[in-house]
Amino acid sequence: MPHGIGRIKIRLPRTIHKGQVIDVKTLIIHPMETGFRKDKATKRKVPAFYIDEVSVYYGGTLISRAKWTMAVSTNPFMSFYVKADKEAPLKIVWKDIKGGVYEKTVQVKPQ
Amino acid sequence: MKDNDFSNSRREFLKRTGFVSAALLSVSALSTFIPSQKGSLGGLMGALGPGEAQAAPAGIKEKLESTFGGRKVEMSHVVMKTPIIAENGAVVPINISSDLPMEPGNYVKKIYIFVDNNLDPFIASMDLTPANGKAALSLRIKMRKTSRVRTILEDSNGKLYGSTKTVKVTIGGCGG
Repeated sequence: MPHGIGRIKIRLPRTIHKGQVIDVKTLIIHPMETGFRKDKATKRKVPAFYIDEVSVYYGGTLISRAKWTMAVSTNPFMSFYVKADKEAPLKIVWKDIKGGVYEKTVQVKPQ
Repeated sequence: MKDNDFSNSRREFLKRTGFVSAALLSVSALSTFIPSQKGSLGGLMGALGPGEAQAAPAGIKEKLESTFGGRKVEMSHVVMKTPIIAENGAVVPINISSDLPMEPGNYVKKIYIFVDNNLDPFIASMDLTPANGKAALSLRIKMRKTSRVRTILEDSNGKLYGSTKTVKVTIGGCGG
């Protein structure tokens, strides 16, 4: 298994005003194997291994859920928007097809 | 030093995001020279784009038919930014944004991304709620070969809005 799998980065704007619609940038380290690629050394197909679901919770409420397929790039980057109308944790959970669950929580602090 | 965890990766992160914004900038600079595909087009063939109905592979037609039935797609209110030429099909940045409202009772509930010539044309979807504040999504996707990329937005009333772009791929991104 590749090193560093499940490492997550979440980036929010440095200053957030109350009610501002903020850009949330996320990156997770994951091989996102399609199942079609052949290992050059062993000549065998590398089995499929990719993230198929991403959930975004803001203050404990599910606000967004993404469905992914193998066609999302390796080490997936995704950005989306959240309306920062309260001080609350923003939790993002990635799930892959082998049962791996990766999550990270950041605090949204509107001023 | 709460940023300690980030300090090492900050450079890497900036590099990555910098690459995307550079790509997007070049696209937006060029897009002024490309006629936009605005205006409403009837039916699913509208989603397939003008003059593309015959050329589109069967897979994408079936996928759109099974996902949306026969509903009409309005080709407006959605801006999709992609590179015109992707040197590496394994990493194609797609940026979707929309000016559609995100109010309770009238919001964009789902964003879909399709690539015609991939083995499975469905790439990803994202469910949204008014708490998102804006209907937008950026994602990096894999493309097997040169293809039309489509995005379709579904609002809470079931109306569909879309946009399509063709991306040229010089090296495919599905391994093999």
